[in-house]
Amino acid sequence: MENNKKILVIDDDAQIRRVVELKLKKRGYDVLMAMNGEEGLQVIESEEPDAVVTDIMMPKLDGESLCKQTNHLKKQRPFLTIVMTNRISPEDRHWVKEMQDTHLMEKPFSPTRLLGCIDEYFRRSES
Amino acid sequence: MKVQRIGILLLVLCIIGVSVVSTALIRYEKRTRARDVVNKGRYLVTLIALHSVKDFEGNKRPFFLRTLHDYIASEGLAYCLIHDHAGQPFVVLDPYKLVSKIPQAVRLKSLHTMGLTDQTFHPSSSDHTVYEFAKSIFENGQQTGTVRLGLRPPPISLFSMDRVGLLATIAFFIFAMVPFVFLGIKVALRPLKNLGLKMENMAGTSMPVETSSAKGAAIEDVIASLDESLGLLRKRYMRLEAANIESQAKKGVIAYERKQIARILDAVHYGIIITDTQDHINHMNAHMLNLLSKERDDVIDKPLGDVLEHEEILSFASGQEAGAQKTTRRDMETTFPSHAPGESFQVTLSYLDDGDGSITGKVICVKNITNQKSVDRAKHEFVAHVAHELRAPLTTIKSYNEMLMDGEIADLETQKEFYNTINEETDRLAGLIANLLNMSKIEMGNLTTDRELVKTDRLVKDCVAAIEAPAQKKHITIEKKLPDKWPSLVGDKELLKVAIINILGNAVKYSPENSNITLAVREQDHTVMFDVLDQGYGISEEDLNHIFDQFYRSSDPHISEQTGSGLGLAMTSDIIQLHGGRIEVQSTPGEGTHFSIRLPREDYRLGKQ
Repeated sequence: MENNKKILVIDDDAQIRRVVELKLKKRGYDVLMAMNGEEGLQVIESEEPDAVVTDIMMPKLDGESLCKQTNHLKKQRPFLTIVMTNRISPEDRHWVKEMQDTHLMEKPFSPTRLLGCIDEYFRRSES
Repeated sequence: MKVQRIGILLLVLCIIGVSVVSTALIRYEKRTRARDVVNKGRYLVTLIALHSVKDFEGNKRPFFLRTLHDYIASEGLAYCLIHDHAGQPFVVLDPYKLVSKIPQAVRLKSLHTMGLTDQTFHPSSSDHTVYEFAKSIFENGQQTGTVRLGLRPPPISLFSMDRVGLLATIAFFIFAMVPFVFLGIKVALRPLKNLGLKMENMAGTSMPVETSSAKGAAIEDVIASLDESLGLLRKRYMRLEAANIESQAKKGVIAYERKQIARILDAVHYGIIITDTQDHINHMNAHMLNLLSKERDDVIDKPLGDVLEHEEILSFASGQEAGAQKTTRRDMETTFPSHAPGESFQVTLSYLDDGDGSITGKVICVKNITNQKSVDRAKHEFVAHVAHELRAPLTTIKSYNEMLMDGEIADLETQKEFYNTINEETDRLAGLIANLLNMSKIEMGNLTTDRELVKTDRLVKDCVAAIEAPAQKKHITIEKKLPDKWPSLVGDKELLKVAIINILGNAVKYSPENSNITLAVREQDHTVMFDVLDQGYGISEEDLNHIFDQFYRSSDPHISEQTGSGLGLAMTSDIIQLHGGRIEVQSTPGEGTHFSIRLPREDYRLGKQ
């Protein structure tokens, strides 16, 4: 199944990247990978993914900074961001609320639910 | 009883009064009568002696005797004798037969004395005094005879009508005077009674309440009461004396305890200000004086506002800030201008009361909580890190397991990979929990760690065995340089194993495949040295400064790609320090790392801890 959507997975944990990659690829998404925020930022700017799945605590550039730096891009080209974190703090909820098309998902997470979220976003944006 | 006593007293007083008055009257009357008798006798005897002897003879004699008889009745004439010149009595008037009873001396003196004589005698068988007057009769210059007159004053009757009346009057007066005298005594004794009562009050006793019937309390009662009061006062004085000694002793103890409390307050590591209800400073301990850079004499009894130039604390202490409830303990956080802005102080305000709820002052405690806050922050960060580290393997396990359960992984090879990952992450989770427990053990220090003989050969063997499998997986060779004679250590074997395995494990984890790791054990200067050298990726200079920090993870891809909690080296460092040892590290990125652990060599001796 091929749907031509590009999804970027940013996480410093290789195992998380692996399982998300498998799940999304099985659905037919084109999966891009990044090991930290800095790398992720470069990929977002160069590859223009349709959705980004990112961790918060990462070396070099954390997920929060990444989101804030890329949020302005969504005005011209909206894309989904799913922020995954080990512990959702009130501060996280606060800044995520300020971002466009951004959702929080707590770890440990369900790959099926993550996929459902992404599918739902694309379904809505297309309709 | 009292009425009877008063009656008897009255009677006695009356008798005494009457007796005294009667005796005085009788004496007076006796003297008066004696004087009258003497005057009368002298007059009478002189009068008779003027006559001629012949006037008492013949027909004149009965007339003379009759006249004398009249004197017997009215003037108390007892007898009359007229002697002739030879001394023979020729006229004798002796109605009471007393002449024979006149003593010889009296008769002789009367007869043979020229002129007037008067003398007294007591005739035998009679108590009455008889006055004898004698005078010679002269005629033509010759003594012709002697007149002798005896006069007997009439007996004085105690109960003559006049006297009875007088005595009755006296008795009446005595009776009439009694109430006045009693009243007078009462009035006179009142100060004494008051004194007695006061003394009793002073002695702390209560006298029976005086009733109207007791108004006639005898002086003995008052004296007895005074005596009793004095006794009580004496006891009271002795008690007071004892209490005074005790009070002095207590005063000494209180003074000592006061100083001791001040010393205790000075010994605490936070500032204390104690104020009274008017916010004047009663006490300020050494720490607070130091904090304010003040001397004790400059602050005691001074208003708090004059001493504490800190508006925030003053406002807080005065209870003026919004929502402040008086009498309840409150806290606030602040900084002191004399200290760095980063230093936080906790100010606690408590109220002193007298036990009945009345506020007697305030206690203001000022505590530097910079370290405490730093510790609290570190604890908070530690818990957050631990949660993060525990969730990471859980996230992998859950997501991988879900993929397998949902049948998303059809490929057998991938399935195997997933199962292995789940297994590894479970081990990682278990390892993390073990590390946390070890860290807790290390933090408790000597309280929970064992001190046993650790044979280094056994220790090294166990450590190498633990990393052999991962080393083989990466085809890493472990070269061992071991001593002929193994030194011994004293400590917690399990913790020492954790420390050395962490170092060896890191060497395997962060070394490329087909490289060498050297483990050398040797004894040097009473220390046991463990050296671990690898040919790994090395540690950057920046990372070297943090590798022993908890949860520090290098951003180097060679490091961050490997799973790790950031706890291993921190824990290793703590374990070595706990055993009195030292850990050092030298590293060159791209060439390798050299960890060196030094532990004091120690032979286990019984009784030595």
